[in-house]
Amino acid sequence: MMERLLVFAAKFRTFFRRSTDDAEFSDEIEGHVAMLAERYESQGMSAEDATRAARRQFGNVTLLTQKRKEARTTMFFSNVARDLRYGVRQLLKTPVFTLVCVLTLALGVGANTAVFSVMYAVLAKMLPVNDASRVVYVHTSGFPVGAYNTGNYDTSFSYAGYRELREHSGLEEVIGFIPMSASGKSPVRSGAVPEEATGDMVTGNYFSGLGIGTQLGRGFVQKDESDHAAVTVISDSFWQSHYARSADVIGKTLFIKTHPFTIVGVAAKGFEGTEGRLPLDFWIPLQNHPDFNAWGNPVEDDGGSYLTIERFWCMKLMARIPAGVSNQQALAKAQGTFQQAAYLGIAQKRAGEKIPQLSFFPAKQFDMQDDSSARSLKTLMAMVGLVLVIAMCNVVMLLMARNANRQREFSIRLAIGAGRREIARQLLTESFLLVTLGGAVAWVFATVATRALGAWSRIDSNLQPDATVMWFTLSILVVLALVFGLAPLRAAMSSGTELALRSSATVSQASVKKSRAGNAVIVAQIAMCVALLVGAGLLLGTLRNLLKIDLGQKTNGLLVFGVRPQHTKSKDESLAFFAALQQRLRAMPGVESVSLVDNRPGSGWSSNNGGMLIDGHKPNGIEPTEAEFRQNTVGSDFFHTMGVPILQGRDFSDADTATSQQVIIVNETFAKKYVGTTNAVGHTMTNTKGKNPKLIVGVVKDHKYTSITEPTMPMRWNAYTQVGLVNVLDVEMRVKGDPMAMLPTVRKFMREIDPDAPLLQPMTQTEVFQQSISQQVTFARLAGCFGVLAVVLIATGLYGTLSYRVSRRSAEIGVRMALGAQRWQIVWMVLRGSLLLTGIGVVMGVPLALAASRGLASSLYGVKPLDVASYALAIVGVTLVALAASGLPAGRAGSVDPSTALRAE
Amino acid sequence: MGAEKSEVLQGTLDLMILKTLHALGAMHGFGIARRIEQVSEDVLTLNEGTVYTSLLRLQQKSWIVSEWGISDNNRRARFYSITKRGLKQLAVETENWERISGVISRVLAMEVEP
Repeated sequence: MMERLLVFAAKFRTFFRRSTDDAEFSDEIEGHVAMLAERYESQGMSAEDATRAARRQFGNVTLLTQKRKEARTTMFFSNVARDLRYGVRQLLKTPVFTLVCVLTLALGVGANTAVFSVMYAVLAKMLPVNDASRVVYVHTSGFPVGAYNTGNYDTSFSYAGYRELREHSGLEEVIGFIPMSASGKSPVRSGAVPEEATGDMVTGNYFSGLGIGTQLGRGFVQKDESDHAAVTVISDSFWQSHYARSADVIGKTLFIKTHPFTIVGVAAKGFEGTEGRLPLDFWIPLQNHPDFNAWGNPVEDDGGSYLTIERFWCMKLMARIPAGVSNQQALAKAQGTFQQAAYLGIAQKRAGEKIPQLSFFPAKQFDMQDDSSARSLKTLMAMVGLVLVIAMCNVVMLLMARNANRQREFSIRLAIGAGRREIARQLLTESFLLVTLGGAVAWVFATVATRALGAWSRIDSNLQPDATVMWFTLSILVVLALVFGLAPLRAAMSSGTELALRSSATVSQASVKKSRAGNAVIVAQIAMCVALLVGAGLLLGTLRNLLKIDLGQKTNGLLVFGVRPQHTKSKDESLAFFAALQQRLRAMPGVESVSLVDNRPGSGWSSNNGGMLIDGHKPNGIEPTEAEFRQNTVGSDFFHTMGVPILQGRDFSDADTATSQQVIIVNETFAKKYVGTTNAVGHTMTNTKGKNPKLIVGVVKDHKYTSITEPTMPMRWNAYTQVGLVNVLDVEMRVKGDPMAMLPTVRKFMREIDPDAPLLQPMTQTEVFQQSISQQVTFARLAGCFGVLAVVLIATGLYGTLSYRVSRRSAEIGVRMALGAQRWQIVWMVLRGSLLLTGIGVVMGVPLALAASRGLASSLYGVKPLDVASYALAIVGVTLVALAASGLPAGRAGSVDPSTALRAE
Repeated sequence: MGAEKSEVLQGTLDLMILKTLHALGAMHGFGIARRIEQVSEDVLTLNEGTVYTSLLRLQQKSWIVSEWGISDNNRRARFYSITKRGLKQLAVETENWERISGVISRVLAMEVEP
């Protein structure tokens, strides 16, 4: 065996140095013959006789050279090279066929690769941490009554709880991290220009506990956490974009929220933090300065922050399970510690309360509890899978059609001595060529498509295809190549040698069996197409409904951006800053009105509250503690600026100050539900103890607050001047013309007011609302694309197959016409066949579509899974496409000239 | 050619070349041909070119390696030498040959039964 391998390797090496070997060998032989001749001469022969004798003694040089050529390398390589050359020539001979096949493959495989990359990255990829199987995200089922939280309720823990878990839970490491703000971004400055960057405040064991190295400098140590050291580790991409990968970045100063931090390290390449779709730029140890309260929240009046308030749940946690301990064991052990620690800072556990439960989730790149996007991705994967199957069927049919035209060629080759193996090898080589071409184009397409998919689903972190994705694509390609090579093989083989001698007229009797296989493929394709189109129709209907939803406000012409004053120290200073800001922005040319808002409308953020009395009584008979409402904190002229109609009373005005009467504005739903009438102005709302009275001064029309799809809820608005400290507000600015065109002027203006405060997430208000449905929009658009793709594929497939069948039957048609068949009869004969196939396909496609739409039900909005219009459209669409695709060949069949057709045979 | 000369048996040439390289060290094709001619004392007839077919076969099996060098009479020539793998093979083949030739000679030595 070893010997065989050695010989094969030697032959393989020689294959690439054939010409060198030729030259060397002839040198060697010439030398040998010359030496022989010299010897004979020295024995006394004449020079001429000696040469002749030498040649005789040596033997036949030509024969020897030929033998060597055959022996030095295997025929395999030269055969493959020949097959390749021949294959290329075949593909070039039919450029349209090649182009169609390559594009079909590229679209099918490329779309699959792109969707798979995203699905893999989102659902399966692990964080690049050391020994990832032992690292978990820590979740809780909630937090105890009496505590409060920022961030997602299932991923937030208190700092006190973190300490307890770390000390007593038996976990090897408990790692904590806190976003710097609700958006994850915070103002930083590395040179002169302030900007926004994403960062987390992390515990001292963040890098060491996760097992993430640094490519430069060091990670954090425990001392950094306990000292709240002003040091930072930056990410590879931040290093690249801001310091051009310069090695002397260590020791430089990065200003974060105007505080200087010394850069001590650059995190390992490929690590983008633990925040899923948001890649991080920097990490700092947990800080105790008031500016660095968790999530950018303002500290309490008494200076209380996340470090001191035990009821403030705001910290995300990960953990490393000790070696040799199972997840369940570790969880069971930690559960007790956690359930005790959860009640730190809470005076009394309420009776019958559900005690929070700890749970562990694998350390994937995305800590995804959001089933909807997982489901969307899986649905998309199924859709592109269908597209790929359709594409594959298409190429197989095209190949079979083409190869049937080559049957004569195959039989001649068989007749003159080609083995079946040779023909199989030839077909496989051609299919590998085709698939390689398609695969290369597909990879390029996939790279672009993945980027687009990532942008659409608002994932900033790296999704580019990696090794796993490449294996996925390669295995698809190999399977395709084998299918494409072997599917036409039987047809090619069945021809046999005798075919070479027959006339083509006899060949034209296509066997029933063969066309039956083709028919089955067409029917299956049409069925899949119906299912895809129904799915696409339902999702596009959803999209139409989403875009039609009335927001209840005029978002066009609104620019929104966040401002965080960097130099205000107290509540009064902060209020003065925002009041002055509003006045100065109002005076800007081109600005119609300006207001301020705490939770940016449409961004998904909301403050939820509950408990009230109206005029000292139960609100409209509802239990006071169960009267829930959403609220937002806004500036003067808010409803005027947003374009929300005021039904009764007035808007907030500059006269509503900290010292004037406390006022609120509510929406219609609030007024009807809790006051019992839309005439709510003049009523007073208090908390459940009858304290803190607020006068209702206005009722506004219901409108959307957190997102486009939210149901209407009771809403209340406060004036920002009359609530606690605010340190970030969004500015809503109604301008003439394109809001984004205003941005440079606003930036310049803001720099004059505060050079350290960047504009936070500036965008149009329309864009904010659109982003709230971006996932559904992307999903629907992609589904639409795949539906169209499927239809195009079906059309080309049907057209190709039918054209081919008609061309094969031209002799038969000629005979029919010569015997008196009318043109329309011929056309009908061809059309009838394809209509029948379409009919069967549709009938089989409907149950498939029913199953598919049931799976889609949860992704739909305002459309029923059994939407008749979508079904009708899909069926009519497929039928029309099938008719169009078969109409051309049918027309051609009808115009066959009988005498020409018969003579040609 | 005289009828008393014998054709070289297929495969034995390989063995002869291996042995020659083993006994005399690195040699070029011409030298190998001379050596075989000398040892066989004109009993074997050999088209000298055949040596090269054999050399290629041995090389592909990594039993010998070759290297360009300068011959005694100042000619550029390819020198062949035996490898470790070749030595092992030589031992195996020698044993084989001896066993078979022993059998053959015993068979040939059988007396005609009266």
